Amino acid sequence: MADQPRTLMTLTINGQVVQAAKGTMLVDAAAAVGIEIPIFCYEPRLGAPIGACRMCLVEVEGMRGLQTACSTPVAPDMVVSTDSEVAAEAQDGVLELLLANHPLDCPVCDKGGECPLQDRTFRFGPGETRTLEPKMHFPKPLDLSPLVALDRERCIACFRCVRFSQDVAEDGHLTFQERGDHIEIATASGDPYEGRFTGNTIDLCPVGALTSNPYRFVSRPWEITNTPSVCAGCAMGCNIEITTRDNEVKRLTGRPEPNMAVEEGWICDRGRWGYPALRGDDRLPGAVLVDGVGRRSVPLERALGVAADMLIPHEARVGILLGEVVTVETGFLAMELGDRVGAAPAMVRRMGIPGDGLGLMRALPGAQMDDLDHADLVLVLGGDPCSQQPVAELRIRKARRRGVPVVVVGPRPTALDASCEVVRTAPGQMTDAVVAIREHLDGTRRAIVLWDEADLAAEPGAAEEIARAMAVTEGARAIEMCADVSGPGLRALGISADADLLEAIEAGGIDVLVTISADPTAGPAGDRWAAALDGVGTIIEMASYRSGLTDRAALVLPLLTPLEEEGVLVSMAGRAQRLRPGAREAAGAAAAWEVLIGITHRLGRPVPDRTPAQAFARLAARHAPFAGMDYGTLDREGAVIAAAVATPDPRRPEAGGEGLVIVPCTPVFGDATAHRSDALASVREPTHVGLAPVEAQRLGVRTDSRVRITTPHGEAVLPLRVDSRLHEGAAYLVMGDPAVRAMHLLPVDRGPVRANVTAVAREDVVT
Amino acid sequence: MTADEIEEYLAPMRHEYADPRSLILPALRYAQGEAGWLPPASMSAVAEATGFTEAYVESVASFYDRCYLEPVGRRVLNVCVTLSCMLRGSDEIFDHIADYLGLDGEGTTGDGMFTLQRVQCIGACDRAPCLQVDSGEQVGPLEPADATCLIDDLRDLPAPERYER
Repeated sequence: MADQPRTLMTLTINGQVVQAAKGTMLVDAAAAVGIEIPIFCYEPRLGAPIGACRMCLVEVEGMRGLQTACSTPVAPDMVVSTDSEVAAEAQDGVLELLLANHPLDCPVCDKGGECPLQDRTFRFGPGETRTLEPKMHFPKPLDLSPLVALDRERCIACFRCVRFSQDVAEDGHLTFQERGDHIEIATASGDPYEGRFTGNTIDLCPVGALTSNPYRFVSRPWEITNTPSVCAGCAMGCNIEITTRDNEVKRLTGRPEPNMAVEEGWICDRGRWGYPALRGDDRLPGAVLVDGVGRRSVPLERALGVAADMLIPHEARVGILLGEVVTVETGFLAMELGDRVGAAPAMVRRMGIPGDGLGLMRALPGAQMDDLDHADLVLVLGGDPCSQQPVAELRIRKARRRGVPVVVVGPRPTALDASCEVVRTAPGQMTDAVVAIREHLDGTRRAIVLWDEADLAAEPGAAEEIARAMAVTEGARAIEMCADVSGPGLRALGISADADLLEAIEAGGIDVLVTISADPTAGPAGDRWAAALDGVGTIIEMASYRSGLTDRAALVLPLLTPLEEEGVLVSMAGRAQRLRPGAREAAGAAAAWEVLIGITHRLGRPVPDRTPAQAFARLAARHAPFAGMDYGTLDREGAVIAAAVATPDPRRPEAGGEGLVIVPCTPVFGDATAHRSDALASVREPTHVGLAPVEAQRLGVRTDSRVRITTPHGEAVLPLRVDSRLHEGAAYLVMGDPAVRAMHLLPVDRGPVRANVTAVAREDVVT
Repeated sequence: MTADEIEEYLAPMRHEYADPRSLILPALRYAQGEAGWLPPASMSAVAEATGFTEAYVESVASFYDRCYLEPVGRRVLNVCVTLSCMLRGSDEIFDHIADYLGLDGEGTTGDGMFTLQRVQCIGACDRAPCLQVDSGEQVGPLEPADATCLIDDLRDLPAPERYER
């Protein structure tokens, strides 16, 4: 870090001698010694203080009038009083004015009970009102968007939401209109406030002015429990808090004590409002067994015994396939199970990108998201963090606001394009940008490179050259934007995503296949998987939601989701963080770790673990990247795992097929959860094909036409969107809706592929 | 009004404003000169010329009483109602003008000729009660009869080439 040495200053607050670093605001210096100065607008994550609400007035000896503690930095020998008669009277007065038009409808307000305005009024307020004048009235609530409700009467004009929109998300949507007692939060011309991060304004609002529509009137603060956990929506690993009532997840929020090294308290709307998916129609409620008698529900206890019976024959060759969102404990216990079944050891593989050519990239020194705050260059290579790891976008924007050059390289248009330097490459031609990347890296000392796993795995040649350029750049560090949530954790356990499991199945070498939150028929080369699975004697599916495998499986074991289970996920920056269960909504389901432990017991060869904590301690002792970790050391902030040593493999995949190069896009707002959650109906992204206008013209199609897209791996008919920002010669395949197959068009290693795109005649369309 | 025209107008004064946000007000005032109010197209032009979002420009415009987000009359009659004027009978003047124009309080006449509004201190306490036409001449001290004459005179004038508000 290039920070100046911290100069400590000594001052007195309420008679207490306090030391604080130069530049600290009085409010923080006081908080550090347990003195609370009331605030509403102060929020350092939004940038420099603005002193809008006047709540933090304190008396400073020698300074004329009262000072706002949020915007007054400490100075040597300052004598501050936060509770003198003058200061207390001022705080009283400010609260009285803030409440002059506030409806005091706390009993019917969603914020009531967890409301800073309510709390501070009790603690610092006058206790009674002198107001006789009628209050301002506005129609309420207004829908700022289908997700965010606005109650103008409750607003105290603290500017937090406006500053978030203008200065953090930089979407520029929210502003204040009018002034004085007519002031109101609004968007330009009343358009809905829609974006990727709008829900954070609800967390920021210190009163009940902005509330969540899906959470409206759902519960009161004394009926709920809040559980700190981690979002499993993408590999970013944002810390969240799960609100539970009556064993149902009712709300997700950013964590009040943010993890500053990861998400800084911000979460995206997909993460915030994905929870209704838990109660989706396709949730698997209980175990299902298919045997000679037919297809029937069985109690989970009995299903575990059946699973053990299926796995026990000593000649059975077993494969275990782990999905894109499983905990490291699940991965570890799957390997333990694999050592105990049939003709052990079983082949344990994960879905995801083999990434053979990424060895050099992965060997580079890693960084955490907060290192972006000290970087002197931010390079984004491939992918689109704005749509795939949304909160990363906020940290990148923050770096840019500091004046750091941010360069976005790749074939996709991103939301960063307007404010950052863009090096647009032709799809599959990242190599063309290597010279530019070298030039940008030249002379930097703290460059951070965010690189996309999927894109660089498809272009190992470019990955190798970029890795070499970075290796000779002093201080350059990398963060891998992982395609899978479980990828980093399972990789650290040595579980590969190699296609050899598929090859073994095709060769007739697998008798029993166990899938854990994995449906390979919906993944890359799904058709090839589907054909191969016909040759597998027994499929045991463990999953939370119905999938393409559910009807093929001899046994279906219902699983809890990451919001309901305990375990550890490793973020894309290598940070191991704990999931904590908020609820257990599917009564007949169990966590994957419970199911796996249960099966080992019924095999007669039990693992010693009874809890995920024990399983984690054991895996940490065996797998070097997790050395020295246990649930205690992870606690709330998590801990960074040591990088797994990877060996470079010079394999160079060639794009198969002919026609347009496929650019795979997996926006989180288009993923399975986004499609399962009703709350996200207005913002979810459908599975579709994007084409540049010139390609669309060539085919005689336009937006909303349907096109047939064919690769050597499969075929799909998808709706089309024509977008002038897209590259010619490419088909942008935007995927994620579980009801629309598209991923199967990609090769099994998610490598490069070309597609033939044709217009679909009207009569061909099956509706 | 196009963004280019506004930019041309702003060019000579840009260096006077250290913070580019300060350019929004002169830009709004210039844009308002064309139609006498700020239709959405003008607001977009100001946004484009100053480099801020439309939402932000609208936020600034809505703060000021004299940025008109709705169409107003050919002349805006601003009756000061702050202390000096109020004590010297501005309520009476206001009611008289409203009566004469056939208005129920603040508003715009049906023929689009006049908009009547109350404003806070216009800095003419020595001439209280006082009225200002657009951002032009301050007329006062006023008797109700003077107001009637003033309105009749204004009615006969042609529309201005540019509105100064």
